[in-house]
Amino acid sequence: MTDVDYGDAARLTSALEDRLTAAIAGDGVSRRTVLGGLGVAGSAALGLSGPGAAGGGHDEDGHGNFGAKGEYDDRSFDPHEYLRTFNTGHEGRDGVNEGVYEENGRTVRHFTLTAVDTTIEIAPGVEFEAWSFDGQVPGPTLRVVEGDLIRVTFRNRSRHAHTIHPHVKNVDPGMDGTPQTGPGVLDTDEAFTYEWEAQPAGVHFYHCHSLPLKEHLHRGLYGAIVVDPDPDRVRENPREYVSGHHPVSDEYAAELVDRAKTRNHEYPENDRYDELVMVMNGFDTNFDGENEVYAANTRAFAYGVGSTDGNGEWEEGETKRPIQIDGEGRQRVYLINATEFDPINSFHTHSQFFDYYDHGTTLEPTHGTVDTVMQCQAQRGVIDLDYGDHEPGLYMFHAHQSEFAELGWMSFFEVV
Amino acid sequence: MAGDDLSADGGTAADRADSVGVPLGLPRWVAAAVPLVLLALVVAWFLVAPPLGGVQSGEPLPDVSVSHATLPDDGSVVLHVVNNGPDSVTVSQVLVDEAYWQHAVTSGGEEVRTLSPGQSAEIRIPYHWQPGWDLEVAIVLADGTTVHHDVVAPQPTPGMTAGTLGTLAVVGLFVGVIPVALGMLWFPFMRSMSDRRLHAVLAFSAGVLAFLGFDAGFEAFEVAESVPGAYEGQLLVVLGVLGAMLVVQSVTARTDEGGRSALAVAYAVAVGIGLHNLAEGLAIGSAFALGRASLGAFLVVGFMIHNVTEGPAVVAPVAGDDRPPLRHFVAIGAIAGAPVILGGWIGGFAYSPTLGAFFLAVGVGAIAQVVWEIAGMVRDRGGRVGSPTNALAFLGGLVVMYATDLLVML
Repeated sequence: MTDVDYGDAARLTSALEDRLTAAIAGDGVSRRTVLGGLGVAGSAALGLSGPGAAGGGHDEDGHGNFGAKGEYDDRSFDPHEYLRTFNTGHEGRDGVNEGVYEENGRTVRHFTLTAVDTTIEIAPGVEFEAWSFDGQVPGPTLRVVEGDLIRVTFRNRSRHAHTIHPHVKNVDPGMDGTPQTGPGVLDTDEAFTYEWEAQPAGVHFYHCHSLPLKEHLHRGLYGAIVVDPDPDRVRENPREYVSGHHPVSDEYAAELVDRAKTRNHEYPENDRYDELVMVMNGFDTNFDGENEVYAANTRAFAYGVGSTDGNGEWEEGETKRPIQIDGEGRQRVYLINATEFDPINSFHTHSQFFDYYDHGTTLEPTHGTVDTVMQCQAQRGVIDLDYGDHEPGLYMFHAHQSEFAELGWMSFFEVV
Repeated sequence: MAGDDLSADGGTAADRADSVGVPLGLPRWVAAAVPLVLLALVVAWFLVAPPLGGVQSGEPLPDVSVSHATLPDDGSVVLHVVNNGPDSVTVSQVLVDEAYWQHAVTSGGEEVRTLSPGQSAEIRIPYHWQPGWDLEVAIVLADGTTVHHDVVAPQPTPGMTAGTLGTLAVVGLFVGVIPVALGMLWFPFMRSMSDRRLHAVLAFSAGVLAFLGFDAGFEAFEVAESVPGAYEGQLLVVLGVLGAMLVVQSVTARTDEGGRSALAVAYAVAVGIGLHNLAEGLAIGSAFALGRASLGAFLVVGFMIHNVTEGPAVVAPVAGDDRPPLRHFVAIGAIAGAPVILGGWIGGFAYSPTLGAFFLAVGVGAIAQVVWEIAGMVRDRGGRVGSPTNALAFLGGLVVMYATDLLVML
């Protein structure tokens, strides 16, 4: 085009660096950039008031601030509550549990799920007409122990026909929850009781399998099933809980039993862990086959900060706040990818590495010491985190597709 | 109508009030009012008890358009939006290059979220953009509808100050006033021409005008694309073209009474060219407003050569008669050339595609009428519009305009 101008080239390089910084906002660039990432400091600096905007207006960032503006209005779903709510039959969300009882020498955990059409708020002020289990997206998390019978009474109160298809090892085709098997699709006001054996241990997935599949999934008909490993079974068959074919010594078997106890909600060893369910999902609001919102647990930036002055001073929002964790304890994330339209999603922690158990079906990590994992649609896994040697403060985690991060799948742990 | 000379349209002037009676012996004004009263009653009935229950289905789609974006500095993007739909819409979020971004929506100085039908607003986004790097901005409405707008190769839009005002005036002077004045200097030479040649000059200027008309017409329809839907950009252009044509026709017809005055035609040509130049100025001004002004010296020179042919066009009608007083030349030149400056100011200060498309259309209408007028003039002077010389001269006008247009475009 024109002669090379080295001054221009240098300016371009610098500008590109700035642009990259702004685009990824916080991949170890600086504390200020990280904390400035989500707030409304930019608008405060421009004299535009936003809800919860910190006063002062001394942010000289000049790059503006990304993040969804405003807070959530709809209080019927709280992603913070969802994180730690497990329906075990004994406790959990009201209305989901019918209870726990013995039948033929086996524990039955009986849940009731109802399909309803509802409207959910996926970004502040942005409503999405969802199809849901029990009026929430993701649906309630079912938590059972390996070997239990999972009995789910499914009532369809939606205008459309639905099913429930479980991602567990299921030997009865009639219980597979597809249009071609068992009761097939359930029309409006029909009901059916599914029964599945809780196997194998791990973090699993349930979703509607009606056609068109893409739409029924994308509209919100999915949820998590956590199958806790049974330490007795581990003791008897330790080989089933390791990958590969290496010999399992008695010491290693004993260690596997201990690990199983930490994963089983009925054992006190489990209390050392702060357990969190994160379902990565996305929403296409304008029907173009691409998502306008990405999130962990439906709401864009729900685990971000409420406001910041861009200089490290931040405040919680009413509905947007980091996930508080105890630095002394350990964290376990049950991670599921329910994102439609994009083949993969990912999970990346800042300043931290973790062990990853693909599908959670083994008691030894499938990936040790990684800070990013990738999941295909419906893939899931267990993430084992320890912030014991970290300073208190905010640590970001997000999808490392920067597009997804900037469209809402961006979060913080606050280590206290 | 009563006071007008009804013979002007060639109709028969007969007062029928006495000969044809109004039914039932009603007074005339009652007969005129009855349909209106009945219409009002029917409308009221419809509003009170709408019989649409069985017909209405679904809801109208939200319709928001971004008319344009301005970039006051390298840290802000301002979108100018209008709610075209019949329902209110709520702007919930804003995406810049597929990332949620902070923003403020203001309408008339007040911060708003919801825009009522027809309401326009500015969305200010603090975003550090890169000159020359396209920006894709999207507004996310409450129901998830997205409205996309691309800012192609963004450049800062200068604020309108006394300085830019002066610059636009100087540009207008060089692009509009000076070329027209220079072109008018051919007047003495034209007076020395035979009638046949003078008619050729008139045909040539008609060709020049016709070309400008097409030029502005295509431009008008192009600009109309970005006119907010509710204003019906394309139809606005049609209205502008036909409206201007008819208004200019009615003005010239009134001044023409008792024979076509050459001076009046010259004025009409000046008005047509002036309107065209107003639109040209508007384009220059809005290029400033949109940060698209790269008016190099060559471009200005191109415009000058292009516009110099407008000079003979405005004076050609009076070349065959006695020379009118000089003040008329000054006035004709000012009417034809000065609107570039005015257009530049309007475009710079109050850029809107709606205004732009409308002005362009008005220019086209005025030009069309003037071309018609010139043909009539040649005929009145005993010439033949379709003679080989005149046809070729007309073609010459088209070709010269096309050729000089290349100077502006290249």
